[in-house]
Amino acid sequence: MTAIGTVNPGAAVAVRGETLRSFVTAVRLGWQMEANWTDPLLFFIYSVAKPVAAALILVVMLQVVGGSATVQYRGFVVIGTALWAIVTSGVAGLAQAVLEDREHYRMLKYVYVSPSEFLVVLLGRGVARLSVGAAGGVITLAIGVVALGVHFDPGRIDWPILLASTAIGLATVVALGVLMAAVCLQTRQESWQYPDAVAGALFLVSGAVFPLAILPMPVQALGLAFPLGWWIEGFRRAFDPGNPSAIGGAGSLFQGVTGQLIPSNTEVLVALLLTGALVTLAAAVAFRFSLRRAKDRGLLDRTTGS
Amino acid sequence: MATGLDLVGRSGTDPRTASNWNRRQILLTNLRAIRGRAYPRYRGLFREKSWVLFEILLPFLSTAAFVFVYRALHAPEQYVGFVVVGGAMTAFWINVIWMMANQLYWEKSQGNLELYFAAPMHFMSILFGMALGGMFMSTTRALAVLVIATTVFGVSFAVEQWLLVVAVFVATLAALYGVGMVLASLFLVWGREAYHLGQFFLEPVYFVSGLNFPVARLGLLGALSVGFIPLATGLDAMRQLVFSGAPFPVGTPPPAVELGILLVMAVVATLAARWMIISMERRARIEGRLTVRWQ
Repeated sequence: MTAIGTVNPGAAVAVRGETLRSFVTAVRLGWQMEANWTDPLLFFIYSVAKPVAAALILVVMLQVVGGSATVQYRGFVVIGTALWAIVTSGVAGLAQAVLEDREHYRMLKYVYVSPSEFLVVLLGRGVARLSVGAAGGVITLAIGVVALGVHFDPGRIDWPILLASTAIGLATVVALGVLMAAVCLQTRQESWQYPDAVAGALFLVSGAVFPLAILPMPVQALGLAFPLGWWIEGFRRAFDPGNPSAIGGAGSLFQGVTGQLIPSNTEVLVALLLTGALVTLAAAVAFRFSLRRAKDRGLLDRTTGS
Repeated sequence: MATGLDLVGRSGTDPRTASNWNRRQILLTNLRAIRGRAYPRYRGLFREKSWVLFEILLPFLSTAAFVFVYRALHAPEQYVGFVVVGGAMTAFWINVIWMMANQLYWEKSQGNLELYFAAPMHFMSILFGMALGGMFMSTTRALAVLVIATTVFGVSFAVEQWLLVVAVFVATLAALYGVGMVLASLFLVWGREAYHLGQFFLEPVYFVSGLNFPVARLGLLGALSVGFIPLATGLDAMRQLVFSGAPFPVGTPPPAVELGILLVMAVVATLAARWMIISMERRARIEGRLTVRWQ
């Protein structure tokens, strides 16, 4: 038996092992819940249809307007839409896990009282859905390259920037998912649509499908304060340096503040890291607060309807 | 002395006589069921304050994103207006998918479905109630998006036939919610695919419906959409009516013809929903799946 106050490294390792096991189990459970009711082809179609259709809407919008700018923007919007499929699924993943387990399967209270860390279980479930979104994003990008004229040259891709921005970006998306889970712990059943609504709103300020410079200055400032725009900028630039910048550009807030037309790769990564850290911190605080309030008010086993 | 049974207008106190309802009793019970099923949707608007942020303000921002795409491309202003109209109409489609199509599957999971089937009214009353409540919810959201976006982006409409606009709008809602009732029956048996099907019926349907761009641009696919998807038909008719004289691509039928298509869709969808819900109920009873949850 360990005396109180003594250090026991073995116990810490055991806790880490338990956490990892909970996480892996939650990911497997999430994946099973997502996909085990159907055959892989049907699931593939469901996963890919949404982002591909979203990209096609924008491509046709470009075609309708016509002009030389539309060719230049085709890669811009397809990459933005592909990455946005990951954002949408990542933001929704944890929130949907809360709503499904509370309202649908009515298991949330049992998950909460289980020995596993509650947040770790939710993260596992969220990562499973994020993976589905990521598959949709990759395939959208592939269709963009094959059929929609997106420029792709493996030799020109800046792989370190691509990998670094993707890693930080994905972590940020998961943090936003935690934030949405915190919100959905407090709200009623119809919160199913809330993550999509939040993702739709962030779509406006993230430069996913148009440069931020077109927005009013205060909205541009909001966009620069969120990490998603920096992630998409980093990815888009690493994928094809010929893509227009969504952050900078003539008359943009970025140019007004820094004097540069577009940010450098290092600046993009630093800004992504800083804004991502802030969002992650905010998400952690919000989740702790929300969970405490949910316990106080008996929201963990509340069910609603309309 | 009046008994409880007398108070509800039944003709006798023994079970056989009491179960023999006249037409008025049947009609009143069904109307009460419609009102009762619509009520939580209407009342829910005032109970959940977060709804204002998540279902009015944020969807407006989503619509605004597409406005800025056109602004970035220096498109004619009518295209911006078209995005605003599309943003308003998507409120109804989203409602149809999540709160009509998916609803019976969720009701089954929550244990309400067997109560609906056991209650003494036609199941269509439940579907009508869901539709009316949903229309009310979505109308508030659509109006908010329309008013805010029109004000913020300075959209100007050029309407020459107001009566036709109103008729097309009402027919579009009737057709949309008719399709919603059909989908509700199907989703009931599709089970765990419900969420994924919901996602599948959003962006892909937006694309083939010509959301944010004139559906005529899609050629044959657009023509098929106008013939079979109420969102496409309604959007195209309204685009022609509220932006008269705008330089949109031509190729779709005139609004009066599209109104006719919408009316046919509404009637066919409602009849199909009635047939399907009866068939699905019978099939689910035979297979013992009415009360089987989470599958």
